[in-house]
Amino acid sequence: MDFQVVVLAGGTSKKLVPLVSKEVPKALLPVANRPVLSYVLEQLELSNIKDLIVVVEGADAALCVGGWISAAYVDRLHVEVATVPEDVGTAGALRAIAHHLTAKDVLVVSGDLVSDVPPGAVTAAHRRHDAVVTAMICSVPVSGLSEAGSSGAKDKTKKPGRYNIIGMDPTKQFLLHIATGAELEKDTRIRKSILRAVGQMDIRADLMDAHMYAFNRSVLQEVLDQKDKFQSLKQDVLPYLVRSQLKSEILINGAPQGQQAKENGNDKVSYRILANASTPSFHELYALGPNGSAPVRRTHKCCVYIASNSKYCVRLNSIQAFMDINRDVIGEANHLSGYNFSAQNNIIHPSAELGSKTTVGPHCMLGEGSQMGDKCSVKRSVIGRHCRIGSNVKVVNSVVMNHVTIGDGCSIQGSVICSNAQLQERVALKDCQVLSLSTSVFLSLSSNEYL
Amino acid sequence: MQFDDQGRVNKSKKRAVFNQPEAKNRVELFRHLPQYEHGSQLTDLESKFLELDSMHPAVYKVGVQYLAGDVTGGNARCIAMLRAFQEVINDYSTPPGKTLVRDLTAKISSYVSFLIECRPLSMSMGNAIRFQKSRIAKLPLTLSETEAKAALCNDIDRFINEKIILADKVIVRHAATKVRDGDVLLTYGSSCVVEMILLYAHELGKQFRVVVVDSRPKHEGQALLRRLLAKGLSCTYTHINAVSYIMHEVTRVFLGASSVLSNGTTYSRVGTACVAMVAHAFRVPVLICCEAYKFHERVQLDSICSNELGDSNDIARVPGRPDVNSMDNRTNEKNLQFLNLMYDATPSEYVSMIITDYGMIPPTSVPVIVREYRREYLLI
Repeated sequence: MDFQVVVLAGGTSKKLVPLVSKEVPKALLPVANRPVLSYVLEQLELSNIKDLIVVVEGADAALCVGGWISAAYVDRLHVEVATVPEDVGTAGALRAIAHHLTAKDVLVVSGDLVSDVPPGAVTAAHRRHDAVVTAMICSVPVSGLSEAGSSGAKDKTKKPGRYNIIGMDPTKQFLLHIATGAELEKDTRIRKSILRAVGQMDIRADLMDAHMYAFNRSVLQEVLDQKDKFQSLKQDVLPYLVRSQLKSEILINGAPQGQQAKENGNDKVSYRILANASTPSFHELYALGPNGSAPVRRTHKCCVYIASNSKYCVRLNSIQAFMDINRDVIGEANHLSGYNFSAQNNIIHPSAELGSKTTVGPHCMLGEGSQMGDKCSVKRSVIGRHCRIGSNVKVVNSVVMNHVTIGDGCSIQGSVICSNAQLQERVALKDCQVLSLSTSVFLSLSSNEYL
Repeated sequence: MQFDDQGRVNKSKKRAVFNQPEAKNRVELFRHLPQYEHGSQLTDLESKFLELDSMHPAVYKVGVQYLAGDVTGGNARCIAMLRAFQEVINDYSTPPGKTLVRDLTAKISSYVSFLIECRPLSMSMGNAIRFQKSRIAKLPLTLSETEAKAALCNDIDRFINEKIILADKVIVRHAATKVRDGDVLLTYGSSCVVEMILLYAHELGKQFRVVVVDSRPKHEGQALLRRLLAKGLSCTYTHINAVSYIMHEVTRVFLGASSVLSNGTTYSRVGTACVAMVAHAFRVPVLICCEAYKFHERVQLDSICSNELGDSNDIARVPGRPDVNSMDNRTNEKNLQFLNLMYDATPSEYVSMIITDYGMIPPTSVPVIVREYRREYLLI
């Protein structure tokens, strides 16, 4: 179908600092005991895509990711892992691999996206309108824990400072305005020409950019070449294309759009028959000169695909998101995890050992070879492989990665314990993250500290 | 294929490209026509986009445009489909061990069945496909692959130019002679040929005014009205329930057609027969403007045996008026069936003249043209 897929797997992200390390880049963070990149790759494999490019920042991270991919997907997908220098941003990463892109359109997916929206839908919407860029939009996830141990009273009163403002036309097919995150402190500016051309704009603050884009390749390469300062697709390239959609300065397919030489009158007539038969979008109406004559202004279309509410779509870009995704993938969105659930609605690996009187609640996961002592209780948590958990341990709403040793009498709530950590006896952790070097923890920590 | 034959329906479902759930409440009389649940069709097709490896992207795009209703109208659909086939032919390369003629014909047949799944073919499209296949079958075997592809693309270009664009020009010239100063012309819905006639007559300087009759649920006349007003014609706009009140002012009726059948019956947008009948009662001449490539040798006596069923939600609700939507949630009630017909058949007694690119003929001469000029798909 003439589409090339690029997965931006990032490197070691700063926002996830205690969790990521040199051995565990962001793309390989475990969600329900599978690396988060595997969700993207599974989704692409289901859509019958065989060739893709995975871009990783930093040579060490690229080695880890490449090694994992070649082990896991050796016959199923043909993946090319490209390394780019660190901190070039998503746009810089695409600039670096621009010579690999040959197809007519490029689908750019972020490697930390966990969703079951079929990428075919985004590409179909892109082709249907001959758009220059199509972005996938999903609802903002409701974050925070529903059970006990939510992030402390002081956090409840603080509203999330990041907003996403998305403006669409009434048919919800075209993207008219997009503004995300930090720049939205007080007000947002909307192009008057766009508003006048379309007539009615719906502005939503409950939707966010899911970081799956379909780009027209020549346009993308042209924008990246001309605008050197652009670092990020989400913050720079996409808003630029959306802002300039009615005053297009880009050349589509190598020829200025409005001046395609019509060789004879017959082409014009057939073009007019086709144009009259379909309801024109506001771009075409705006581009027409006075009295509806031939196009005088150049426009390009930015389309949007809204993920339906029945689909799950979340990005792993913060520690809170990491906990939420883990909870959801074994909870509500458990079709994503690909595991079979037992009768009590949890996943316990056959080789895991449970002590006597140990309860594992619903929506939990116990990895391979893990051992739990007596009288433990696990609620809504993910426990990785080969963990040794002592007796009388309570694990609630947490993520415990592989090879962790937890002593007796510990209480872990709302925390993340990375691989190879050791906890001594009677440690109480609440909302913390424990680093993956082999630290021994023998203090009680609470509330968002990390060690 | 008749859709009340369960065995054949199941067989065709197995070959279908995307799954379409059938509508549950169907009118008994029209069970032989396909009717699907329209809500999920587009999302189903879109989600399968990347999995359809065998489908050419141009054909896929045309199919999505048909399904979403982005492209409507016989000529436009035909041109869009032929342009997509041109791209298919340009990108085609014969697989080893197969002949171009057979393989390309098989490919085009598979694409056509995909397009039928998206939206049933119009008769103009059917004729164009038959022409295409006969041109492929008639390719001399001595041609190399590039020459054959160039010849086929050339044929498609000639077909579009001669049968559609030039034909429209000829029709416009003929029909403009029938417009006199002081005329009140009535048209129904939106036909691209009738629009061209009105604009051309206006350019010639004739003084007339236009009555545009429109109907639910598509309101196709509104787009035509906007374009006529932009050019400066004076128009009246009304709905079909008022056609008998406005007909006494009208001097001529110009109608478009999706196809004209061999017994002179005009197969056109639903509502055309009504307008023609009222005009006949008021002794107003009815002129059908139709290109000759849309003629068909079929004979149809009523609108039931062959038709197209649209989305029943379109008649159950009025867009933008949530207060009028008492029918909206009732699509699944057992006692209530929605019927949204798209086409109807106008008998030949109501039609005074058919204006085609072969001249102005009475409806009884249609089988003559089908017989004489279509036997070998002569290009002029």
